[in-house]
Amino acid sequence: MNTTEKNETLLQLVRCSRTYMKGAVRVHALQDVTFSMQEGEIVSLIGRSGSGKSTLLNLVGGLDRPDHGEIRIRNENLTQMNRNGLAMHRRFTVGMIFQSFNLIPSRTALENVSLALAFGGRNRTERRAIAERLLESVGLRDRMDHKPGELSGGECQRVAIARALANSPCLLLADEPTGNLDSRTSAEILELLGRLNNQGVSILMVTHDEAGAEKISHRIIQLLDGKIMDEKQCRRDHETG
Amino acid sequence: MKPDELARIALENLWRTKLRTVLTTMGVIIGIGALVSMVSFGIGTQKNVTSAFYENDLFTSMFVTPVEIDVNRAISGDVEALAGVLYKPPSPLTDSTLSEFQAFPGVEIVFPEIRFPVKLSLNGNETQTNLRALPAGMGKYKPYNDLMAGHFFEADTGRSIILSQELLRQMKVLLKTKQLRHRTPEDSLRGMRLVEPDSLLGRLVTIGTSVVDLEQMTGLPMMFMQGRMRVPFREIEHHFHIAGIQETGQGFDRPSMISGAVIPMGTAESLPRTGFNNIWDVLSGKHDREGYSSVVVRVNHVNHVEAVQDSIETMGYSVFSIMDQLSDMKKGFLIFDMGLGAVGTIALIVAALGIINTMVMSILERTREIGIMKAIGGSEAEIRTIFFVEAGMIGLMGGLFGLALGWLVTKIANAVANVYFIREIGFTVHFFYIPLWLVLGAIAFSVVVSLLAGIYPAARAAAVNPVDALRHD
Ligand SMILES: Nc1ncnc2c1ncn2[C@@H]1O[C@H](COP(=O)(O)OP(=O)(O)O)[C@@H](O)[C@H]1O
Ligand SMILES: [Mg+2]
Repeated sequence: MNTTEKNETLLQLVRCSRTYMKGAVRVHALQDVTFSMQEGEIVSLIGRSGSGKSTLLNLVGGLDRPDHGEIRIRNENLTQMNRNGLAMHRRFTVGMIFQSFNLIPSRTALENVSLALAFGGRNRTERRAIAERLLESVGLRDRMDHKPGELSGGECQRVAIARALANSPCLLLADEPTGNLDSRTSAEILELLGRLNNQGVSILMVTHDEAGAEKISHRIIQLLDGKIMDEKQCRRDHETG
Repeated sequence: MKPDELARIALENLWRTKLRTVLTTMGVIIGIGALVSMVSFGIGTQKNVTSAFYENDLFTSMFVTPVEIDVNRAISGDVEALAGVLYKPPSPLTDSTLSEFQAFPGVEIVFPEIRFPVKLSLNGNETQTNLRALPAGMGKYKPYNDLMAGHFFEADTGRSIILSQELLRQMKVLLKTKQLRHRTPEDSLRGMRLVEPDSLLGRLVTIGTSVVDLEQMTGLPMMFMQGRMRVPFREIEHHFHIAGIQETGQGFDRPSMISGAVIPMGTAESLPRTGFNNIWDVLSGKHDREGYSSVVVRVNHVNHVEAVQDSIETMGYSVFSIMDQLSDMKKGFLIFDMGLGAVGTIALIVAALGIINTMVMSILERTREIGIMKAIGGSEAEIRTIFFVEAGMIGLMGGLFGLALGWLVTKIANAVANVYFIREIGFTVHFFYIPLWLVLGAIAFSVVVSLLAGIYPAARAAAVNPVDALRHD
């Protein structure tokens, strides 16, 4: 299943900076960050709250733009894209999941996944088939027609993962995917992400759960005040999937 | 994404949030309903008034008299004017003058105006009216070409009479028409007889005319001195057969505007009678004077009125036409229309503001949803389109239901008003009229206004910053 070779660069950030204005105060959310990721890798970002983890993820996800620096994914240069180009990047190149799931509450699990597929240009029958297959693969075969309000946090995050994978992205971005979950459910979600990675999905994940991250990540990068402070290689000793 | 897919998503959004959709649409429904009922009232009123005029051919008729009688001046004691009327020799309106009029382009028919007060009685029930004489040729024109029962005269002689529904009602005869058919004769007829129109044909009607008693006239000063006032009139009775029944028009046809009783021209000329002109003639000692006192000239289209009127005036006659009065009436209608239009515009502005307000509110509420759509790859154009389609759909539904509401309002208002009309006047009036253009226009307007109202909210939706929208606290 893993067709892309490791040691081939998937993502590259070159001296990226992002500054926010908080009233009259400049907040350097990200300062001169240079960082890269290989195909098939799973990389975790850790760090104190406010250290710039979400900012980095949003830049890679094309939800935000850096003030300086360059971001490349495969052969595309994000910093040169116009707004529509960024929309296409979010649609096809990356898939994002969030701490608060961000599902549309009025749509069922199936319909939430279908919406992403609709943006991906799939027709109705394709949408249904693909959404069902994806939900099945995250273990939600029986909950497809439930709305987010009728699902547990873990189930919601599974729906969000299925949706993020809808248009076969080359990078899955996860911003504290287990932040709202109890430890058992967190472990299940991390395990699911690890399994997806084994199937070839590259993942860039923000987390507070360093121990959990160590189990599935190839590398853990620590941010502090918008800068990379530390990087360590992990021995992946779990082998599910 | 293809436009039809985007439209489907918009429809799904509306369907999934039914309550919000219904509330938003309600604003449009009320706006369009108010608009439709007001405009249809304006159209209905205009139609009633103009059709009343057209059906009574007042627009295309003019009245020619030999001399300008400045009645006001004469009555107010202006001796010169009185003298002018009495002693200026007028150009007479003879049969040859009538054929000259007939030759003008656009003239359809020319006939002397004969109209005099009579007493009518049917089955012993009496009423009074102005009897009018018309030539058989008028049978070709409205409303005489389409009588409720019977036919117009085929000859200018004969003791036949055409009576209006309203005059019959005054003589306690109610016709079984569509509106009355379902009512039982007993309930609210109040001494009326309910009959089929056709059953009245051929029935005898007595007409009483007054004639000046010349003998009494000469004795008037003497009687006055002796304190024995007596009216110098004598009454003569004639019998006529009902040849036809004319429907009293819809709307604002006042019974006085239409000739409630019509007899053939030739018959009228031979009937002894007294009208205003005759009294005048008697007083001025000219009861043997040559020609007609008043002539009706009818043209085939209002556009011909002015030219024909000018031609006749240059021949030295005085012409009265309703078209002279029409410019004022048109002004009145214009003001009326403008008033209705203003109220309608206000209704639309209110509706549009309502739509903008609810759409903007819905975007504030749905910021996260928009952020989500952006995060999963929705482009600005697509999100704008979704909201635009939602606004358009709300407009379409609001237009359709608003139209239904407007229609319902006009039906109810009409029914309520006609409870009074049936009771007091005996016929119904259609106060409201919803033409096809109003139906289509109202829907189109609703959609267009809603789309315009949706532009700003849709643009705002497209501009939502996804990072802010998705921040979880
Ligand atoms: N839209 C914004 N406006 C102003 N300040 C922001 C905005 N987004 C993030 N920040 C600031 O940037 C810094 C980094 O934020 P973030 O990347 O969310 O941190 P983390 O995800 O590591 O907790 C914080 O100090 C935060 O307050
Ligand atoms: Mg964060």
